[in-house]
Order: sequence, then C-alpha cells, then structure tokens
Amino acid sequence: MSLRHTPVQWNRTKLVYDAVLAVAVVGFIVVFLRLAPEFADTTRPVDGAIQRMRAFGVCAFLMLTLILCIGPLARLDRRFLPLLYNRRHLGVMTCLVALTHAVYVLNWYFAFSPTPKLTALVTANTAYGQLLGFPFEAFGIFALVVLVILAATSHDFWLAFLSAPVWKTLHLLIYPAYAAVVAHIALGYLQDATNPAFALVAGGGGLVVAGLHVAALMTDRARHRSNTAAATAASDTDWVDVGPPEAIPDGRARIVRLDGDERVAVFRDGNRLAAVSNACAHQNGPLGEGRIIDGCITCPWHGFQYRLEDGRSPPPFIETIPTYRLRLADRRVQVHRTANPPGTPEEPLTWTA
Amino acid sequence: MVLALEVYLGAGALVTAVFLLWGIGRRDPQARGSFAFRPLLIPGVVILWPLVLVAWARPARAHHRPPLRLQEGLALVLAVAIPVVLVTGLLVRQQGPLERPAVLLAPADADMEGATR
Repeated sequence: MSLRHTPVQWNRTKLVYDAVLAVAVVGFIVVFLRLAPEFADTTRPVDGAIQRMRAFGVCAFLMLTLILCIGPLARLDRRFLPLLYNRRHLGVMTCLVALTHAVYVLNWYFAFSPTPKLTALVTANTAYGQLLGFPFEAFGIFALVVLVILAATSHDFWLAFLSAPVWKTLHLLIYPAYAAVVAHIALGYLQDATNPAFALVAGGGGLVVAGLHVAALMTDRARHRSNTAAATAASDTDWVDVGPPEAIPDGRARIVRLDGDERVAVFRDGNRLAAVSNACAHQNGPLGEGRIIDGCITCPWHGFQYRLEDGRSPPPFIETIPTYRLRLADRRVQVHRTANPPGTPEEPLTWTA
Repeated sequence: MVLALEVYLGAGALVTAVFLLWGIGRRDPQARGSFAFRPLLIPGVVILWPLVLVAWARPARAHHRPPLRLQEGLALVLAVAIPVVLVTGLLVRQQGPLERPAVLLAPADADMEGATR
C-alpha cells in the first residue's frame, strides 16, 4: 500500500525474487550457448549470432510459459502464491529478453538490407495465403508488441487510471500473444529443426499451459458451483443466500458469485460478518482467498488490507473497495446484490451460535 | 505506413508531455508531488495515447468487476489453440508425416522429363 506512486516499491522479497530471476536468465543463456552446439546438426553449422538469437528466443518462450502457469498454479495450490507476488517484474524481464531476441534477428538476417531493417522484416516474406512457408515473423512481431504494451502498462498507476475492466482486458492480450508465440515457433523453427529436443520443449510447455488453465477453470467452477446453486435456489430478487454463518471458517471468507463478473467475499471474524468485493483495489487479487490479519481483510497476493466496517485501507492509506449489506434469514446469511460505493461504512452483522 | 506510424508516435509524444507534466497530478491524487515514477509511464502513454485521452476525459471511478468471464473464455480458446497450432506446424513440415517420401526417377523418366522442358 502506498500514499504516493513510486517507481518500484522495493522490499526484500522483491529483491530476492528479481535476483533469482536474473541469475536464472543469465544461467540459462550461458548453459544454452554452451550445450546447443553439441546437439546441433553438424552438416548445417550455425553462426554464433544465430545461437544467441535462439538462446534468447527459447528463454523468452520459457519465461512466458512460466508466467502463464503461475496464475492457474496459484489457484490450484496456495503454495505457488509466492511466485505470483512479483509476476509483473517477471513479465518486464521477459519483454527485455524477447526484445534482445528481436534485435539479434534484425542485426543478423537484415544486416545488409538495402531497405530499413524493420521494413525488410515485414516485407521479406508476404506469402500470407499459404500455410507452408507462412511468414511466421508476423506472429513474433504481434507477440512482441503485446509484451511491450503489457510491460509499459505494468505500473500500479495504470490499473487505477484505466480502471480494472479496461486494464485487465488489455492484459488479457497475453493469451493471444502466447498463442502467437507458439505459432511463431511451430511455423518457424520447428519447420526446419532436425533435433526433436526443442519440439518437445515447445510442445510440452504449450500443453502444460493449456492443461493447467483447463484444470484451474474446472476447479474454480466446482468450488463455486455449490454456492451459485444455493444462491439461485434460495434467493429473491435482491438478496442472495450465502449459507449458515458457522459454515464460514473464522478469519476466512466464502466467495459468492453474483450476476456476470461480480463476486462477493463474505468474511467471518469471530461472531462478526462483513461482505466486500472479492476484487482487491490494487491488482484485483482474490480477497476472498485471503484472511483476516490484525482485524483487517488481507489480500493473498500483495498483502493490501481493508477494514471490515467500511472496505477502506487503514490510515494513512487510501485504497477502497465496495461493501455489501448483509442480513440473517432463518439462520442463514444473505447478501444484497447491489454493491455500495467503495469505502461505504456498513456495520458488520453479528450473530450468536 | 511508416509515415503514419511516425505521425502516430509524434502525437503520442505530444500527449505524453502534456499528460505527464500537467494532467496526471490533476487526475490521480497519488501522483501529486510524485515525479520519479513518471518516466516509467512514457512508453505506455506514447503507445496508448488515444486510450489515455479517453481515460483522462472520463471522471475517476473505482471499479471492482474485472472481466472474469472473458478471461475464462480466452483461457479455454488458448487451451484448444495451442495443440491445434503445434500439430498443424508439425503436419506441414516438409519432413513431416504428411510429406510423401522422395522417389528417385528412373533414368528414362528423368531424360523424358528433361526433354519436355
């Protein structure tokens, strides 16, 4: 949490995260450059610049694969949450590695081009009407542009400025970008490769991403199905059933899905119950998967905190989230469908066992 | 196309200068008196300046409805697209499973083919 925007809110965890990341990237590049020539086809030797281009390209692909795996992994198992803590730095570093790959491509394949290198890159192959020999560079350019946009809009300012729906929609471009990277590899390097190692790496990485997303989606739906079914069965037009209060673990929340994309987190703190939006004001982390620490709802992603009474961060911080009205009916908790404006005081509901 | 790109980025540079030096402090309370982070925003504003102008003109609102359903849909499409793209890439390989093996022409056939050219 902060009062003013700063370039980076450094702390020890982020420093360790970034240091490990930097060592891993440098280590991968060094090992790749050392090992790749030994597995290369000796009948078709490649230049050192091409090896470096491939090293950065493979590294960027693996980093992007890791980025896309972190989200579903954290939803499937909370032990992966630390990976998510500084994912945006991982994204920025991936963008830099991918840019290095692109610079090697331009400076090697188009070094002596009579036209400007970028112009040569997009005009060298225009056979868009055929699959074999398709200009796979277009997929790489698209993915690189997306990575640059996402890295350039990764500061906290952008989410607050553009609003969560717009910012999140923009950052969902990572999905088509990853599909474009897979196409870039499949219609590019894999067309020519004789060593199956990279095909296995690319295929395995892509299939792991696909499998994890399907698994997380199914788990998420199963987790919310019971709540949604109960809500539908026991709801009138304005109030949605949450269940008996004792079913909510103390210090934790039950997440209820309302209409569309809206989700409510109903927290229990002893015999007090309070309902807030499930989306953290910081980066839309799932507040309902967090817990109550020091009397405040605490986001599991970055530790942003909010008071139960009004959805406001404790002073001097200024973040706010919407609150919801609660009531008890036949010893079951019900939440009102309409959110209060962010930061609206709403006295927690008390109940006796 | 290059000229259009230059015009677009030039307009972006203009919007960036006005926004980061004047507009941002009026729009975001957390940006008032804070200058060190502003250079980090330059690439984003230059690239997305039309979106910045729209967001700048709109009153500040708090939002709590991230597009979860869109994310779920895209994740499913991605899960289907990845194996399709990979398999397609391997199928169209010149040395892939759909490639018919090369057949050496008999000398007579080769001569005839040369004669017809």
